[in-house]
Amino acid sequence: MSSSGNPSSSGGGGPCGACKFLRRKCVAGCIFAPYFDSEQGAAHFAAVHKVFGASNVSKLLQHVPEHKRPDAVVSICFEAQARLRDPIYGCVSHIVSLQQQVVSLQTELSYLQAHLATLELPQPQPPPVPVSSSGSLQALSITDLPSISPSVYDLSSIFEPVMSSTWAMQQQPRPSDHLFGVPSSSSIGGGGELQALAREFIHSGQMPAQPSPGTSGSGSTVIKRE
Amino acid sequence: MNPKRCAACKYLRRRCPKDCIFSPYFPPNDPAKFAWIHRIYGAGNVSKMLQQLPDQTRAEAVESLCFEAKCRVDDPVYGCVGIIHFLQTQIQQTQNQLAKTQAEIALAQTKLSQTHNSDFM
Repeated sequence: MSSSGNPSSSGGGGPCGACKFLRRKCVAGCIFAPYFDSEQGAAHFAAVHKVFGASNVSKLLQHVPEHKRPDAVVSICFEAQARLRDPIYGCVSHIVSLQQQVVSLQTELSYLQAHLATLELPQPQPPPVPVSSSGSLQALSITDLPSISPSVYDLSSIFEPVMSSTWAMQQQPRPSDHLFGVPSSSSIGGGGELQALAREFIHSGQMPAQPSPGTSGSGSTVIKRE
Repeated sequence: MNPKRCAACKYLRRRCPKDCIFSPYFPPNDPAKFAWIHRIYGAGNVSKMLQQLPDQTRAEAVESLCFEAKCRVDDPVYGCVGIIHFLQTQIQQTQNQLAKTQAEIALAQTKLSQTHNSDFM
């Protein structure tokens, strides 16, 4: 994606990555130009086009305020790459993995808090029985996941922890076991590649490097609350 | 027109052939599901994706696509990346609480052992 912060047309610098990929003239006001530079942008746009289609992405971006479009493009690229690497589950497998981590940590926390409560009692108590948090180990479902619309996201914090996430461990149950209740024998793969790609997003200037009028890019993927 | 058209063919206003790739996954009683998919990905892209997958994995692929499409409809800026961020934040917060609780346990155990030692003296 462009790191020059050129907010609109390709000007005299040639077509943007999207128009280069689509082999069309990059017009003034091209909606993709600020986010897909003519070098690496074409490769990333290829993934986006394959999964979403150029016209669908264009419509999506048109409905997003301009200062939010850099984030929207990054998340769309992330989802597209995740879907190409895992055509069955896309980034949903990562979501399930994270949710399982949350459940596991909360169960451990409940147990430790119960243990602490017994230690702080004035009289000696028998060793605490491990607490099984009711409902915390129930089968996960897509419907349990929240629908979030926060105003600020540090996208770099999303991508960097991906590098140490359980995608690399590949020991998690299949997402289908929790999401759909249908056992599957296929295996998740490519987590390491996606992490490397996510790192590339951040460090190769995929977000606007320079703040520019009308955008909130500030050389990173952090969007500050105004 | 086939009265038993799948939701996809109904949405696309076309005949639903016997080998329609969408019909096993988009029953006519759930039109919203295909509407999200079509809005975000487009019927053609989804058809190509499904054709490249083995039959036994297509149902799961459709479910995950629907989930991502619905997330994107609800949050056009972040889509399901917003959920990833939320979960990672939860993990960090829970890990912080765990560390704090473990420290409190260590402190409480130290105090207990000191109390027991002074009882025996």
